[in-house]
This record gives sequence, C-alpha cells and structure tokens, in this order.
Amino acid sequence: MKRSWTAGILAMILTSMLVLGACSSKESSESSSPSASASESATNPSAPSSAAASSDSDPFGGWVEGLPKIEAPAGFDWKQFAGTTLNVITENTPPSSGLAANIETFEKATGIKVNIEQVNLDVVIEKAGLDFNARNDNYHIIYADPYQILAKQAKHFLDLNTLNNDPSLPHIPGGLEDFIQSQLTADGYMGNKDKLYALPYDNPTMVLAYRKDVFEKYKDQFMKEKGYDWTPGPDMTWDQYYEVAAWINQKVKEGVITEVKYGTGHQAKQHDSLMNDFSNVLASFGGQYFQAQNIGDIGTENPGKSLLNSPEAIAAAEFYNKLLKEAAPGSTSWDWSGLAEAFAAGEIAMAPEWHEFSGTFENPESSKVVGKVGWTILPKGPKGRANMYGGTGVGINKYVPEKDQKAAWLFLIWATSPQTQYKILDVGFTPTRYSVYEMPLLKKAMSDPTSEEAKKLPLASSLTAAQEAWKEGNVYMRPKIPMWPQIDTIVYTELSKMLAGRQSPADTMKEIAKQSDKLTRN
Amino acid sequence: MLLPSMIVLAAVSLFPFFFMIYASFMDYALDMDKPRFAGFDNWKGVLTADTFWESWGRTAVYAGGGLIAQLALGIAVALLLYHIPKFRNLFSTLLMLPLFVAPIVTGLLWRFLLDPTYGLYNWFLQKLGMNVQILGDTAYAMPAVILMDVWEWTPLITIIVLAGLQTVPEEPLEAAEVDGANGWQKVRYILLPMVRRMIVVALLVRSMDILRYVDTITIATEGGPADATKIIGYYLMQVAFRFQDIGGAAALGLTMLIVSTLLGRFFIKVMRSEEA
Repeated sequence: MKRSWTAGILAMILTSMLVLGACSSKESSESSSPSASASESATNPSAPSSAAASSDSDPFGGWVEGLPKIEAPAGFDWKQFAGTTLNVITENTPPSSGLAANIETFEKATGIKVNIEQVNLDVVIEKAGLDFNARNDNYHIIYADPYQILAKQAKHFLDLNTLNNDPSLPHIPGGLEDFIQSQLTADGYMGNKDKLYALPYDNPTMVLAYRKDVFEKYKDQFMKEKGYDWTPGPDMTWDQYYEVAAWINQKVKEGVITEVKYGTGHQAKQHDSLMNDFSNVLASFGGQYFQAQNIGDIGTENPGKSLLNSPEAIAAAEFYNKLLKEAAPGSTSWDWSGLAEAFAAGEIAMAPEWHEFSGTFENPESSKVVGKVGWTILPKGPKGRANMYGGTGVGINKYVPEKDQKAAWLFLIWATSPQTQYKILDVGFTPTRYSVYEMPLLKKAMSDPTSEEAKKLPLASSLTAAQEAWKEGNVYMRPKIPMWPQIDTIVYTELSKMLAGRQSPADTMKEIAKQSDKLTRN
Repeated sequence: MLLPSMIVLAAVSLFPFFFMIYASFMDYALDMDKPRFAGFDNWKGVLTADTFWESWGRTAVYAGGGLIAQLALGIAVALLLYHIPKFRNLFSTLLMLPLFVAPIVTGLLWRFLLDPTYGLYNWFLQKLGMNVQILGDTAYAMPAVILMDVWEWTPLITIIVLAGLQTVPEEPLEAAEVDGANGWQKVRYILLPMVRRMIVVALLVRSMDILRYVDTITIATEGGPADATKIIGYYLMQVAFRFQDIGGAAALGLTMLIVSTLLGRFFIKVMRSEEA
C-alpha cells in the first residue's frame, strides 16, 4: 500500500502539539487552604533571649523572656516517652510548616519521634474519619477543624482536661486563659464546655486586601466625582464597596486606571470559599443560617430551622449577586488561592481574603504588589459587620493508648505554647496566644509596617486588621453543627447556580433553606 | 490449585461487592458507633434526589462526548500512523505521552493552562478579544473537562486501533488498489471493517473507565460551576468522603456498577455479533 509523506508531516505536527502540551505542565501546590501559601521559610525570628538553665527546667534549649514557659512538675522526666513515635495529620498551614521545621527541638527534648503529615483539609477529614470509625490510632494528633471535623467527631477526641489536670504531667503553659478566648471556645469545645477537645492552633480570618497605590493615586479624582474619601477602612459600607469597584472598572475601561484590571475579585468558585465569601455579606445584612443561638462558637447538635428565607438573607443574596457582576470574571473559578494569585499578579484593586495571604503578597518571588497592599476589616452592611473566622485546633485521638496519649500531650502543649508560636512567627504564623501579642517585636511590627521588625514577619501588615476582625461585633463564625459539611456543600452549590444566572437570589435562599431543613429534620 | 487465587479474588473483589450491598441497606455514617438497618431508605434517598439524576445526565454528556471525540480522533491518528512509512514507533511513543500522565496531574496541567490569571490558553483567548473564563463558566466547563479526558485517553484508542490495523493483511488492500479504489475507499470499505472488533474493545475499556474517573474533574472544577461538571463519580465521592454517608454512597456506587455492567454487556454483545 502506498503511504503518504503528508501523513508523516501531519503526525509530526500532532505529536509536537501533544508533547508541548505535556511539557508545559508546571508543578504547583494544589488549592488547599487559605493559609497554605503563606508559608515560605522556617527560621526563628529571634533567638531565645535567655540562656538555658538546666536541662530539667529547660529541655527546649532556652526560653524567650516575657513569655510563659513550658513548666513540668518537679522531677518530671521529659525523656520518659523516648522511643515513642507520634503521627500528626494536619492541613498544610503555616503553623504546620513552622512546627515541621522546628520539630527537632521537641524530638531532642523528649526523645519522641514526630511524623507530621501535611495534606489538604479534605484529606485530613477523610483520614481522620476513617481512623475514628475503625477506632484506630494511626494518627495520634489530629487537626481538628471545628466545623468540618470537631462538630461531627467530637466524641472521638480525648478530653484534654484529663491531661491538663493530671498532676504528674506538664500543664498548658500560660493556662487556657492565655488563648484568645473566642477562638478557644470555637476551636476547643463542642456543645458545652464540659470537655476540652482541642487547643487553638491557627486562626486565618477574612479581611479586606486593597491596593494602597491605586487608592492613593486616584483618591482626589474619586473624591471629586463621588464626594467622599474612598480609602477602605472601618467606615466603608458594602454599598460604597460596590460603588468603588464599579468606578474602578469604569476607569479601567476608559484607560484612566492602568495599575489593575478590575475593582474587586472574589473567591466564588463552587467551593467552600464561596460560602465563606458570601457569609461575610450575609451576616452584615443581618442574615443568619439557623435559629439556634451561639451556633458559631460553642456549637450545637440541633441548629433549629434555617433562616435563609428571611428578608435580610434574601437582600444579602441580591447584593452579593449584584456585586459579583462587577467582580473580575475569573472570580467564579477562584477559590482563596486563585484569588490570591490574581491579586498578587496585580489584577485586582480590592479583595476580601484570608489575612494569612499577606505573606504571599509581600513575597517578591510570588507577587507583583510587594509593598502596595493595605489591609483593613471588611465593609459593614445595614445590620453590622462580619469577618469570617477560619481557625482550627489540634486534639488527641481518643483511641491512642494511654502512654501515647501522654506523649501526644507533651507535643500538644509544646506546639501550642507561646514560646513555640513566637519562634515560628517568621513562617507566616498568626499567634493564638495573648501573651505573644504583648511581645515588643510583634507590637513594633504591627504598629510600624515599615520597621525592621515588620520585615521579619510576613503577616505583620495584615495582623492589625485581623485583630480588629476578631473583636466582638466584627468576627463571624459559621454554624458549628455536625451536618455542616453537607450544609456547606448545599450553600456553595446553590450560590454557584445563582451566580451562573440559573436561579434568582430569592429562590437560591429558599432552596438552601429547604434543603437545610430537610437535612437537619426541622 | 485454584484455591489461592479464588481466595485473593474473594478478598479484593467479592467481599467489597457484598459489603456494598450490605451497606446500601444500612444507616451507616463514618461517625456512627454501629450501622443501623435502614431498609430501602438509602435507595429511596438516592433515587429521589434531583442531584442523582442530574449527575447521571451530565455523566451521559461527559462520557458520550468524550468517547465520541476520542474514538474519532483515535481512529484518525491511528490511520495517520499506519500510513507513515518511517519513524512510526517514534511517533507512536511520543503520542502516547499523555497516557503516562496521572489523571490528577492532567487536571492540574489543564487548570494552569486555562487559569484566568496566568493560563496560556486563556491568554490566547484574551488576545483574540474573547474574555472567557473557561472553568468558571457553565457553558464551557463541561467541554473543557471533556477535552481534558480526550487529551489524555485518545492515545489509548489510537494504540488499540493501530494494533488492529497492523494485523490487516496486504492482499485485500492491493486488490482494491488494482480495482482503482482511492485512499478513502480503502479506509472505509477495508480497513475500518477489519478493525471493528478492536474499536469495540477500545470502546469497552474506555466506557468502563470514563464512568469512574473523577480525578481530573476533582482538580480542575470540583464539580462546578453551578454543578455543571458534577458527574456521578464526583457526586459519589462527595457523598462518601465529604458527607461520610457510607450507606448512601454504597447505593450510589451500586447504580454505577449496574450501568457499567449493562454497558459492558452491550459491547460484548456487539463483539459477539461481529464474530458471528
């Protein structure tokens, strides 16, 4: 049979296309958590300021003065669990990277070997669930996301009070009262405060990132046209936010503004991120997911009826739908990481984003907006303000043998201690302890973003906004109920349909309410 | 002699199968102490859920669209390779490269290529004046995930069909040439009929696969936007691992097994009719 050379050339072209496609693959970390990309390096921000005393009172090689120390009962043998191996499963967040980089300190002090497995939150949920269901102890220490894990699996966690009250063991340094209290309630308890299941570990919170350079440069022009100072701050309302975003879009189209492409960007992919982004608006408009009180902090088994068909919730959905029409078109395909990448690429002037991304924005290797990003709390709505809190605790698997439980306790108190938190500040870690915020380094970094201290800390620029966001009346905590993973999925799926124009905001809220009530049997 | 292999088969295949049937009749969540008998509740819940039928509808589009495109392209590329006088093995090997890429990496690769901020293809589209957010738009997301599957699995069809083509004897082709048949006529009336069985085999293998593959969609779209790419496999994964509802997931999985079996039987029947 006669075979054509033309066929050969065509095959070469096809082959080249496929090979080029395959070669253009660029490995990158998968969308994981709001905080994952903030982690860059892991060296201590400051060496311990005091010399070690004796190995008994100072097994960790020196204390940072001014912070509570990890203290043990007299004669406590830190090496009594030497040879034990602890498996930790955690989301790939800055504290996890920081601890992994400094784990040698703990291992040297105790002789305990620690394996830290850092994965996506979905994988933590799946693996912890399988471990608990089989009553296994593959993982001794578990990243206890309060909404996705703790609310559903609290009974599988060890009551940490039993270990903290054990006179033969070291206690929580600085005591429970040194943890930011609202975070301790949300991360540590479920339903009531009888049992303590986890200790606060990280605390990403949604605040507003904006381009300082854009807002400074066009301030007068906006003032002239609209009659008010447009700089994002505590007084900004969601209506103003919308107006500012639309104005920037207009000026970009006219070729006046060239620094960015869009006024606002959102994490509105069909993903947990969409629920987070929307909830900020929902709560500030006075909308609530369920009837039950204190559902966000202490949590409950029965949330009551859904309140999403209230006029406030519908108004919030209508506003959010309107706002997203002004948002960068990529918003519907971005989760928090996608949004951060777009913001770091200089495309967006404003974005409600997790504060831990400030490390990404200030990293010259991943950002075109270094030194140009300002942070403030999210705008207020007709009924208040809401900044979504996304913190998590760490707890101990109840099915771990008693000896290993004690070894895990040593790890837990070390990992969440003010001393350790202070030492991993420079990986983009946000302390969960009051005492760490009292340290001069942090105070100076937060009060003066241009200081040398601020340069050492990737999150310095957003920490002030985050702290403001945690105040009562500003912070928002999503419902902590066992069926939250399902409700969350319903919320972001139906919202995604709304944004795609497949259903009205009112119908969306009614549909979520209907499905939620069916699920919660209310 | 057969006993050890039967035991292994039972362990890896039959036990999970019977366990799935058992679980589908139980109220069985991962956080429960003990599963409770639930009668037909899981089946009722699955079969009356809109998401179930919508997911199957999308699966039909995804599998149908993907298989048709892969088949057409796979046969075309196989014929192209068959007609290459030299370096056929080299071209074949290079064309096979996507097959060696893990589906998760395929999802990542295409997500990067289509990313609205730094995606190469998105950049091209923008340069052409098209401000399209492919993975964030309900109109384009499904074609995009079909394209990903086509990119990865067309080479499998190609290699199976090419293997068939290489077994076609020269005589009928030479006779056709003597009779004045042109290239298309030789393909249409000699080559394709002679490799029909191989095409059915390729379709059988791919149809089984495409029903269960969720890796690419999980990475690229997570079932969105607006559920536009939530196929049955992704829905099953969500019910099992996100909702931790093992009973519901088992019922869902069994519906997939039933459909897969019916599809498999259909293709086997076609193969037998070819033999006859």
